[in-house]
Amino acid sequence: MVGIFVLAGLACLGYLAIRLGKLELFGSQGYVVSADFASVAGLKLGDPVEIAGVRIGKVEGIGLSDDRARVTLRVNDGVKLQDDVIASVRARGLIGDKFVLIAPGASDKIIPPGGKIRETESPPDIPDLIGKIVGGDLTSKKEKKEENSAK
Amino acid sequence: MQSSPCVKILGLVLGLLFLSASAQAGVPTEQIKGTVDRAVLVLKDPRLKPAAKTKERREQLREILFARFDFTEMAKRALGSNWRRRTPQEQDEFVRLFTDILERAYANIIESYTDEKIVYINERIEGGFVDVGSKILTSRGEEYSVNYKAHLVSNEWKVYDVIAENISLVNNFRSQFNRVIANSSYEELLRRLRDKADFAGVPKK
Repeated sequence: MVGIFVLAGLACLGYLAIRLGKLELFGSQGYVVSADFASVAGLKLGDPVEIAGVRIGKVEGIGLSDDRARVTLRVNDGVKLQDDVIASVRARGLIGDKFVLIAPGASDKIIPPGGKIRETESPPDIPDLIGKIVGGDLTSKKEKKEENSAK
Repeated sequence: MQSSPCVKILGLVLGLLFLSASAQAGVPTEQIKGTVDRAVLVLKDPRLKPAAKTKERREQLREILFARFDFTEMAKRALGSNWRRRTPQEQDEFVRLFTDILERAYANIIESYTDEKIVYINERIEGGFVDVGSKILTSRGEEYSVNYKAHLVSNEWKVYDVIAENISLVNNFRSQFNRVIANSSYEELLRRLRDKADFAGVPKK
């Protein structure tokens, strides 16, 4: 009798471990597409893939391909991606978690399993942009000063 | 002695092959560069500089850009998934409005060109699609990346998206248009686009 309870308890523990650890015992669902980005700074394995804020898959692999980041996405079955969807790496807020946002396209062609998302957008480099704005201002002031002093 | 002409011909053929191969590799870049160079020539033309010549200058720019940019494809992509829900007539009207808006929004930016250098860095062809990377170097020493996305339409590379500093023009419009349609309706989007086009169409005094 005690044996049955112990076994049942173990089974429950095992189930919990699998669920909490997000292990996939029975093969993964969905299909895989890839996308090349100039940069995916901050994106991690398992990060969500979303359309209109709804999770439709996850990041399954990140690797290099000719100096660009190749990201493999596992997309839920039943979600169709047109061949002109745009995938962009976004952050929740300025420094929040990263995710891949997919903007549905207008094309009639659907990306097949194993296919590739052609249109991608890398996260804008905010420090770099700020640098350009600030740096630009500084030098322009300097130039003006120089002009003034020349007069 | 008899082999000499043969060798020469062989050399010539090889040379031609090599030339055509190297020219082939850069066709998309060459075509886009050609269009940009022509536009820059118009922008630099002192005869077209005065404000009175604005109309003429824009007319010339329009002609140059329309030959290289696929505005129908751009409009289609900008509308995204809503494109398929529209009738062909509605699609035509949308393309017209969208091209108008683009012109209003970017004419001033394009005309603010002064003396920036434009260099072409790389080109990635995949099937009938290409990504041509370029950089704009300002006299202050800043660099801005501009990528042209083009597709092959009867032997011509036509641009359907411009990505400036990692921000896609099409995606920018796509998210704005989708937001308006999701919050209200397609008709509301049309109304706003028309308002913008009309408003911008009034010449500034």
